[in-house]
Amino acid sequence: MDKNAYTSVRRFILITMILVPSIPFLMVIGIGYHYFSLSIENSTIASMKRIVADHRQMISSFLSERKNDLEMIVNTVSFDEITQPERLSSLFVQLQKTSSAFSDLGIFDKNGLHVAYHGPYNLTGKIYRDAPWFQETLKNGVYISNVFLGFRNVPHFIIAVAGRRNGDSWVIRATVDSQQFNTLVRQVRIGKTGEAYLLNSQGVLQTDRRSGGTLMEKPPEPIPTPPEGDDVHTMIHSPEGGEIFLYATAWLKDRQWLLVVRQEKADAFSALRKSWLPVALTSLIGGACIVWAAFTLTGAIVRKMEKTDTEKVLLSQQLVGASRLAELGEMSAGFAHEINNPLQVISAELSLIRTLQTEMVETGQLSRGESYEEITDSMDQIKTQIDRCSKITRSILKFGRQEDGCDALVALDKVVPEIIDMVKKKAEVHSIRIDCRLPEKTIRVTADPSRLQQVLLNLLNNAMDAILDKNGSAGGLIHVSVSNGSDGMAAIEVRDSGSGIQPENLEKIFTPFFTTKPVGKGTGLGLSVCYGIIEQMGGKMAVSSKVGTGTEFTVKLPIGRLKV
Amino acid sequence: MDNLKLMIVDDEERFLATTEKLLRKKNVDVVTASSGAEALEKLRAQAVHVVILDVKMPGMDGVATLKEIKRQFPLVEVIMLTGHATVESAVEGLQTGAVDYLMKPADPDLILQKATDAYHRRMGVEEKIRVARMRWLMKSPREMLKNA
Repeated sequence: MDKNAYTSVRRFILITMILVPSIPFLMVIGIGYHYFSLSIENSTIASMKRIVADHRQMISSFLSERKNDLEMIVNTVSFDEITQPERLSSLFVQLQKTSSAFSDLGIFDKNGLHVAYHGPYNLTGKIYRDAPWFQETLKNGVYISNVFLGFRNVPHFIIAVAGRRNGDSWVIRATVDSQQFNTLVRQVRIGKTGEAYLLNSQGVLQTDRRSGGTLMEKPPEPIPTPPEGDDVHTMIHSPEGGEIFLYATAWLKDRQWLLVVRQEKADAFSALRKSWLPVALTSLIGGACIVWAAFTLTGAIVRKMEKTDTEKVLLSQQLVGASRLAELGEMSAGFAHEINNPLQVISAELSLIRTLQTEMVETGQLSRGESYEEITDSMDQIKTQIDRCSKITRSILKFGRQEDGCDALVALDKVVPEIIDMVKKKAEVHSIRIDCRLPEKTIRVTADPSRLQQVLLNLLNNAMDAILDKNGSAGGLIHVSVSNGSDGMAAIEVRDSGSGIQPENLEKIFTPFFTTKPVGKGTGLGLSVCYGIIEQMGGKMAVSSKVGTGTEFTVKLPIGRLKV
Repeated sequence: MDNLKLMIVDDEERFLATTEKLLRKKNVDVVTASSGAEALEKLRAQAVHVVILDVKMPGMDGVATLKEIKRQFPLVEVIMLTGHATVESAVEGLQTGAVDYLMKPADPDLILQKATDAYHRRMGVEEKIRVARMRWLMKSPREMLKNA
């Protein structure tokens, strides 16, 4: 597989591994968040509704209690008795005991004349016969006003109750301190922005509002009038240019007053907003985990694939190589043998020509001269070429014949220095130093000594050639080391500081007839024969090289056991 | 080498012809045969000291021919000529009674040299036989008379 294929596989796995877990992950987060927000909204609205209902209950009972206070007076105290100032003031004190909200108390006769008063102002003597509140009171028996300023210029509202005296009506009127009522209504506090206030049917504020808007004013942002009925009504409404509010409203006092509880939506749903952070954080960390896992796993998978593929290619190469080597061996052996016969003929012919030539010179048919020398030279060349051919065929035959050697236990620490000694002279001539490192303990391998020698001599000669190729007469260093491998094999390494091998040549190095030496210098069989020999001895041969730095051949042979 | 009579057995006709010519020039008496059967036939007709025998031949191969020669003419010295792949057969030949072997392509001078060596060996053997026989004859004149 080439690099592109890996890239596309990597991309495919990566995308799949990110997308597949991401979809359910995001869905879980999305659905979870959706239901969570729904539940938060529902519970917020429900709790707001409950607050409004409770609050309405409280305000209603406050109003009806105040009304009941007055009704009790009307029912228990006669008009004549109540008009006496002492009695009135004692009643007022009693009233104040039950609720400090009352700020004064006034009595009116049937004509609306203010007959008695207890309070901070002097109000007696005025006639209220035509005042709407008076009319209403007479008509319905009870009256609770909107909040108004009146001539006192203090916001307040009144509660008036009508009583009977000998068929005539009289009226008791109490002023309720708006400040107290205000506090009562406003005491609702929800979150940071939650507030409660009262509006009358005209939309005028009956209490202060915490977020701005004073008593008796119309709030700057009107809200739609909720439908009639006793139900608590909720809505989400956005005043122009302002925050979005969550409203809960309920009618009071026979739809004259509207209790409004409102809270900024953001505040009401702050739990939701707060949940954003953990949700986002979870998504981020989860996403990062998925991406990290995808990258790590993809990397591991692709690396594994690459490794497997490389091994596969290597294995098939080895298989092909091994079978090809065997085939080639057989074929070339036959071929070499066939070549030897014509070579024998040529050789015989050459000898005959030489003999004839000598004869002709002796008999005077041929005189020695320039042409004679040239013919002689030419014939010498034929001889050289015959020898060359015969050398090649011999190498081929050596390679082809995989005869069984006689395996013996070979002590490497003895044999290797001996072999090095054989080439020492040649090395010294080219000022090449051979450095040998041997193990402290004797290592014995099972091998055919003469063939092992052949292999090592070949490697040493190659190493010297490589150094000569690079440095010429300047020389270099060959490093030979023998070591005990952990895999039951002994390793002999021959490392040179020579010219190195081109990567494209490195893979062909053990192939028969492959050579980089000039024509006539090498048969290209040396290393392939070595390879064959080592394989046959149950060993392994490997090469690594770096152009310009040097080459290292490693021969591994099975460690032999001394038979007892 | 006046007396050396050499036989060359090979299926390569040209090789036979050239080598014969060449050796004749060197005053060697040469007989050629292109097959094992022909060689045996010619051996019956004339006395040959040394045979150069190609191992790989069609029909009767070198080793079989060698065995037959050694059986019929035990005193004839045989040198095996082999293509390298058949060193095993050369070894077999040596075990069967060949005196030496040569590898193709072999220089004719080398062939002649080995043949000469073999000839001398053969002469040595014959000499010994002669001496032995002489001694035996000399040992007892009575016996000599009896045999005569």
